[in-house]
Amino acid sequence: MMWSGNRRVRVQKAAEPWPENATLYQQLKGEQILLSDNAASLAVQAFLQMCNLPIKVVCRANAEYMSPSGKVPFIHVGNQVVSELGPIVQFVKAKGHSLSDGLDEVQKAEMKAYMELVNNMLLTAELYLQWCDEATVGEITHARYGSPYPWPLNHILAYQKQWEVKRKMKAIGWGNKTLDQVLEDVDQCCQALSQRLGTQPYFFNKQPTELDALVFGHLYTILTTQLTNDELSEKVKNYSNLLAFCRRIEQHYFEDRGKGSSSIRSS
Amino acid sequence: MAAPLELSCWGGGWGLPSVHSESLVVMAYAKFSGAPLKVSVVDNTWRGSRGDVPILTTEDNIVSQPAKILNFLRKQKYNADYELSAKQGADTLAYIALLEEKLLPAVLHTFWVESDNYFTVTKPWFASRIPFPLSLILPGRMSKGALNRIILTRGEPPLYHLREVEAQIYRDAKECLNLLSNRLGTSQFFFGDSPSTLDAYVFGFLAPLYKVRFPKVQLQEHLKQLSNLCRFCDDILNSYFRLSVGGISPAGQEMVDANLQKLTQLVNKESNLIEKMDDNLRQSPQLPPRKLPTLKLTPAEEESNSLQRLSP
Repeated sequence: MMWSGNRRVRVQKAAEPWPENATLYQQLKGEQILLSDNAASLAVQAFLQMCNLPIKVVCRANAEYMSPSGKVPFIHVGNQVVSELGPIVQFVKAKGHSLSDGLDEVQKAEMKAYMELVNNMLLTAELYLQWCDEATVGEITHARYGSPYPWPLNHILAYQKQWEVKRKMKAIGWGNKTLDQVLEDVDQCCQALSQRLGTQPYFFNKQPTELDALVFGHLYTILTTQLTNDELSEKVKNYSNLLAFCRRIEQHYFEDRGKGSSSIRSS
Repeated sequence: MAAPLELSCWGGGWGLPSVHSESLVVMAYAKFSGAPLKVSVVDNTWRGSRGDVPILTTEDNIVSQPAKILNFLRKQKYNADYELSAKQGADTLAYIALLEEKLLPAVLHTFWVESDNYFTVTKPWFASRIPFPLSLILPGRMSKGALNRIILTRGEPPLYHLREVEAQIYRDAKECLNLLSNRLGTSQFFFGDSPSTLDAYVFGFLAPLYKVRFPKVQLQEHLKQLSNLCRFCDDILNSYFRLSVGGISPAGQEMVDANLQKLTQLVNKESNLIEKMDDNLRQSPQLPPRKLPTLKLTPAEEESNSLQRLSP
């Protein structure tokens, strides 16, 4: 059923059908996308795979500007555009698909708390590494971020983004942190995740939830992204149950669907 | 371990030992872990001007920021998390992240950004405790810092508008309070029967919200409906901060001392009068000597006179 082109008033129904042409937009995979955005995008893809909802990944250089909140990834479903994992989870829930319905109140609280931990520590550390560590900024970030644009726009956009991120870091108190302290925080976060996961297959035992998707997105990206040095991925590699967890999700949700190891069909 | 630990922090009011969330977290943790902390309030000194408060000073180090201070105390063997399992330790980190992401923006907004609250309560309180001329500058700077933090973490680039995020942050905060209430349930503390780091953080964030009297109170009203969280705060205040429950500003303490002095004087006066009466009794020839005056009636004139003099 084609929904495109119809300006329909959206009615809240219990379970609306998920259209075939749902699309996820992110930046260009090969040359442009950065570590943190890649992690977020992978988390959303993993979540949708876990819900069994088909999604097509489309790479656009200006994905960040197309997004309603300025953050990638965002999905275009029917005539709705939703960005970021939190709102996407709620949107999918309104359509009648949810991974966390089986959890009781205390478990839901725990799940939300751990998702905030990942956002608070892992995501912020990724942003710090990308934009505040001079070596990485010079070698990787600046070049990648502005790559689709001609000179001087590429430099201007990269500097503007860097200024924005530095401002945010200062506001939350990370402005004065050294790289070692940030890596220390990453280690603490991974340790907490590892202890919570224990020997279970997923964080809430048998069934994956959005927390699993988020953790997978970040850890997998950290493990597979080439940076100036390996310190960040080494921190994650210290925890064998996290490695096994990533592999398990990769095999179960990405390879089994015939899509190959970390590449999703992209146009 | 025996080095004197001194904590500089903002002072208290409304029944709290400190009105500043971060200072309160550190003070609560110190009480829970038994760390001997000497609290020096930065009111009217120049040290608080850098906005780094709370600061822990020992002989060799100066540590700022609650997380670092708590780490330092743990290294000094003052550990309130000793009995927690590994998973509980991980849960602690996760819940602290939840507090900082979901609750802190709304608390900052209630204290520093909401104009009614800021101008009637927060600004006068802080300005009265900062020496002139900093009192003109510092509260404004703290308010801007709070606003910055809220819109940079919650707002949408490139145009950051407060209006858009206000509704969202209060919704998030109410959800966070509900989650905390669900997690706490009916137990006394978050992990078993003894308080830990998480209890210190929750107490530090919730207690000012709970106790400070604000004109615009939507978040406070929501908190008051969650009776187990209110009970949690009151329990900690009563058990660990008992001496400070009556309002711990130095002026309050002095008043207590003055009252004590007055009472002592009154008692002394009474005992002087009693002694005088005793002397009278001894001097009166018709009476056998008595140690203390009693209420028994005697035929002596002087004695009845003395009794009359005694009555207030």
